[in-house]
Amino acid sequence: MNQDPRQFPKAAREALNDPLLRPALTRMKMNFAARRAHGVHAYGDFETLRVAGRDIRDYSVTHLDELLETLEASVNARGGKVHWAATAEDARQAVLAILRETDAKTVTKGKSMVTEEIQLNPFLEANGIVPVETDLGEYIVQLRHEPPSHIIAPAFHLTKEQVADTFRLEHTKLDPNRSLVERNTLVQEARAVLRAKFEAADAGITGANFLAAAEGAAIIVTNEGNGDLTRLLPRTHIVVTGIEKVVRDMNDVSILLRLLPRSATGQAISTYVSIMAGPVGERAEQRGFHIVLVDNGRSKLIGTEAQDVLRCIRCSACINHCPIYGAIGGHAYGAVYMGPLGAALNPGVMGVAETGHHANASTFCGRCAEVCPVMIPLPKIMRHWRAVEHAQGLAPKSLTFGLALWAFAAKRPRLYRLGASLLARALKLFGRDGAVHALPLMQGWFAVRDFPAPQGKTFQEQWQARR
Amino acid sequence: MSGRETILAAIRARKLKQAPLPGPYKAPAVAGDLAQTFAKKLAAQQTDVRVLGSMADVPDAIADILRGRNMAATIHIPPDSELALLELPNVEVRREPPGQFDAAVTFASFAIAETGTLAYAAGNGNPASWHFRPVLEVAIVRPGAIVAELEDVLTDLRAKGGLPSTLNLVSGPSRTGDIEQTMELGAHGPKSLAVLVLKS
Repeated sequence: MNQDPRQFPKAAREALNDPLLRPALTRMKMNFAARRAHGVHAYGDFETLRVAGRDIRDYSVTHLDELLETLEASVNARGGKVHWAATAEDARQAVLAILRETDAKTVTKGKSMVTEEIQLNPFLEANGIVPVETDLGEYIVQLRHEPPSHIIAPAFHLTKEQVADTFRLEHTKLDPNRSLVERNTLVQEARAVLRAKFEAADAGITGANFLAAAEGAAIIVTNEGNGDLTRLLPRTHIVVTGIEKVVRDMNDVSILLRLLPRSATGQAISTYVSIMAGPVGERAEQRGFHIVLVDNGRSKLIGTEAQDVLRCIRCSACINHCPIYGAIGGHAYGAVYMGPLGAALNPGVMGVAETGHHANASTFCGRCAEVCPVMIPLPKIMRHWRAVEHAQGLAPKSLTFGLALWAFAAKRPRLYRLGASLLARALKLFGRDGAVHALPLMQGWFAVRDFPAPQGKTFQEQWQARR
Repeated sequence: MSGRETILAAIRARKLKQAPLPGPYKAPAVAGDLAQTFAKKLAAQQTDVRVLGSMADVPDAIADILRGRNMAATIHIPPDSELALLELPNVEVRREPPGQFDAAVTFASFAIAETGTLAYAAGNGNPASWHFRPVLEVAIVRPGAIVAELEDVLTDLRAKGGLPSTLNLVSGPSRTGDIEQTMELGAHGPKSLAVLVLKS
């Protein structure tokens, strides 16, 4: 399992040859795209809704300081507490301090990519606290010691037989000869095992899809209801999320809620939407409500070419429609955020030297930007990171040399025409049946494609002859 | 510097161009009768929606729902709930929180027609966890509870003093697509949802 974004090209090649990944990716591409298309069509005027979503998120990103201060005041007024974490380490320490203060030994977790980003689970384990993932997909990959392969479908790369093997290995108190053939049997087994974990947990940690500043509320969407049991059963509820998730109020959230599930799974609304403002208070001891706001590199994107990626609401539509992700899946990226989202975000927060490959892994087909519910210009941001990589001298030497050679010729029209006409004639000699099948030093390129053989004259020569 | 100051200073140091206030957005109007639209949309989400004349019809409906699922004639009703006065001659009533194989009945605070969604405002007699603990949830929707969209719920709650500690929106039984992207019901919350819409 690749954990190093610098190894992306190698991991991508391996993923292309992974026979188990192919059917999962094919299903993923068909399902998500078809469901989104259906959900968008059923809504009617989705474009106006996208513009509204973009404007709401653009306002948020450019007023983060004010909105975060408003949020803090509202959360305080409702008996909660806001913790500000500039770095991943600050965030881990903030969570640990809350858990220590409340004498919490076991925690259940709702789905949260930010806690993956700050690598919370290994840190908690090292400090004697047992974190239990409760989203079914997250639970499965946690048992298998794998990272999620998709931001909303963490275990989509596994077959039900692999899940059954994992459960048989890990759920040792159950009859080893039980049948685990049906998917629903697996779901019900996880439900029973995890219900006991929910009942026993001292604290629950969830993410947030949105934060409503005026109301001091954190909002999560789920289909399973695991986020709710994570919040509602233990003494303490901790929300860990990025600073950019804040919007003005619940009216903004209402509009974004029409965009998010349709863009993600095509649903008009997810089965559960939970608006959580303050301690649960069902039992007298349920008094703790904490929001840990994580910056971890986000604020430095404000005012840059990459600022628009902060509008992201993590629906995964860009990932689901990306031909690169569709060919290699999520693990090859070696980072928490994959696909076009990762390509636009990772170089900004993790560094171009570490994750420059992500921005290069694009055909620039533009589907990601077409389906983005908040209209993030993803290819433009990827191009920006490519330019930064080039400017910092981080691009591969063969690429910079080739580009420099082309630029030299392109700025000298006579030389360019001469070179082009020589090349056209030379390539004609290599042609067989109208196509060039191989060239020296270019085995890699020709391994999977042909090049149409030129007919002997360049476009410019033919143009001169015909006018 | 504290984390708070560090983050706010970083944002302020970089903030260049502020986007204007977003214009108002109005979602497409919900067509037709709100109660019918609500029932139709929620029924499309694997939910057993039944239209009843009044509260007097609820006991028989609950007994029928339990029988239809081969469940024991036992139902959990939250203490202090307005439902506490409900007489259920053929069903045993329990007051403690339901377990994962039990059934529970509650009033929905609102029903949203746009998406076929129940909205539960947590509070005394309406514990939020009860919507996630049982295997079967029965929700009762009173005629005045049906609204067009989520914005209407928020307006109503604001007029009554603001959001509750938890506002749960529920649009069907619990589900997951996490194994082979195939939908299965009953992931963590109720595997089965029955909604009784009262005409009066």
